[in-house]
Amino acid sequence: MIFIPVYLVIIPIFASLVIYIFKNKHMNYLALLAQAVVTVLAIVYYQHFSGNFEATMFVFGGWDDRIGISMSNDALSLSFVFLTVFTWWMVLLYTFDKGNTNHNFIFFLLFLEGVFFGILMTNDLFNMFVFLELAAILVTILIAFNKAGNSFRAGIYYLLVNTAGVLTFLIGIILIYFTFGTININVITNLMPLYGDELIIKFAYVLLMSGIAVKSALFPVFTWLPHAHGVAQSAISALLSGLIVKGGLYLFIRINQMYAAANYDYYAFFFVLGALTAIVGVMFALSQKDMKQILAYHTVSQIGIMMMGLSSQDVNVYYGGVLHIFNHALFKSLLFLGAGVIIKVYRTKKVNEIRGVFKTMPWVSIFMIVGMLSITGAPLFNGFISKSIIKYGIQDSGIKYWTLFIINIGTATSFIKMSQIFFGPQSLSYPMQRKLQNFALMSIAFGCIILGNFYIPINQGFFGIDLSYIHIFEFAKFFDYFLTLAIGYLFYYFIISKDKPPIPNIRNFSISFEASNIIFIALIVVMTIYFVLL
Amino acid sequence: MDPILTFIVVLIGFYGLSTSSNIIKSVFMVTIIESGIILLFLNLGNYQGGSIPIFSEQVTSIVDPLPQALMITTIVIGSTVTAMALMLSIKVFHYYGSIEWKDVLGREELKL
Repeated sequence: MIFIPVYLVIIPIFASLVIYIFKNKHMNYLALLAQAVVTVLAIVYYQHFSGNFEATMFVFGGWDDRIGISMSNDALSLSFVFLTVFTWWMVLLYTFDKGNTNHNFIFFLLFLEGVFFGILMTNDLFNMFVFLELAAILVTILIAFNKAGNSFRAGIYYLLVNTAGVLTFLIGIILIYFTFGTININVITNLMPLYGDELIIKFAYVLLMSGIAVKSALFPVFTWLPHAHGVAQSAISALLSGLIVKGGLYLFIRINQMYAAANYDYYAFFFVLGALTAIVGVMFALSQKDMKQILAYHTVSQIGIMMMGLSSQDVNVYYGGVLHIFNHALFKSLLFLGAGVIIKVYRTKKVNEIRGVFKTMPWVSIFMIVGMLSITGAPLFNGFISKSIIKYGIQDSGIKYWTLFIINIGTATSFIKMSQIFFGPQSLSYPMQRKLQNFALMSIAFGCIILGNFYIPINQGFFGIDLSYIHIFEFAKFFDYFLTLAIGYLFYYFIISKDKPPIPNIRNFSISFEASNIIFIALIVVMTIYFVLL
Repeated sequence: MDPILTFIVVLIGFYGLSTSSNIIKSVFMVTIIESGIILLFLNLGNYQGGSIPIFSEQVTSIVDPLPQALMITTIVIGSTVTAMALMLSIKVFHYYGSIEWKDVLGREELKL
């Protein structure tokens, strides 16, 4: 029972190797079998250990826990495991339905699942580094899988930027090892009161955090994300936006738990970083014309909102940030998968060239609309819950509240822009009805609606947090939402749709690879000044 | 070698990464950062007069074996990253006719 984390890592990797060796079309269904086994194991594991998460800790080979490699779980990591399982199911179903069940693609996809489980469940800093780097390599291959020029370009950009980030993470690990003499996260957490004030440990924190900032695409170093998400296949974009980027935020939570006893004042710094990420992401999203680029920049801005939640001292707001990770994973993968279907049928990514989607494919449109309502924070959908928690917690502080309000208006505006694709007459026929694809989209859409309506029992059961202070059916909530939409529509009508001067400038703004590295080093320097010297 | 010297190797790598305009040079700079980190870790785990960490009766003082075990893994991962990056840069050269970042990022791909 206690070794189930190992099986969760091994089974997808082993299945993917078998698929790769046999290169057989029927063998591809082994992926679904492995996925089913993983699902069952995860559920059994959760039922066995829920309420007693200390018992999940184990060390390989019976070594002393300061030397050996160990794994452990808690409510957070297990909820991420379930999210991973769900997302991979949907992506696998979506991929299988497209007909091109390329065994190489399935191989890399399943391998990535095992590696991602490793990131979630490991209790060892160096293992974390190994899994992160492996995930970066696999994601690079998946991004470049289209074998077009721009996907190779995005792949190498992603690989080099992420490797530089992960290598700074490694320097941080080395500094921690030579102060604590161990890389076991639990042991370090317990020893942190002794060494937390030393300069070298503060510097290690800065290096770990700057690596995480690259991984989770925070403000100055998010340039790899639109490149990568814009060109990858839609299933991979959904996976990247839904989960892989959240891996960075998961590490942010983990490392801050590890440093909890050191009491660093990181709240203000990361709140500002998150707010900047959100605003810059929305600004770029408003200026784009490519559907996948719009969604990619919205991932950046939503990560900013999660960061605003996670960098709060208030427990409720913090939990809102965690919850927004899950909600965003659902609706953003829904939007990317839906956009993939539309792009495939219309053979263009330009928002102004796609019209009449609702008449052509009503079901896909309905699921897309569910996703759009969720991301703009409509009541009855899941995005509303986490945004309300964050809003509720920061409503006393004027500037924070208005920042969030502006971000919401920007989100509403750019999804009003994107929703224009639904209007208009039927422009082409859509003969193929893809059942599995629709099933995948429908399941995620149901997930959005269920999490948006039955949030009180779900969160009470899983995290033990009472959310009954969030009411959906309040006049003020609906008024807020429609006010946001109205302002967004005016903004869209008078500025965005006319393509007034600042918009094309923002769209054509780009920075070179060298500049993005200089910015990364500048981020490290700023964080060093903030955390170490002050 | 002094740990400070190896840290300077890391800094040289970061300097190169933020100034080189060529994809191949960027790949090499990542490799240099990686080598610097490996040297740094091995140096910090080493001390004068320590013998190799293989258990036997006569040996009394050994160097810390953990950094060596970890750095072998890092070397393997680093070689994978380098191989991937070089493969991708060849592909990028085929599609764009150049390996300068400014040409590659600002240009549409060539029609082959």
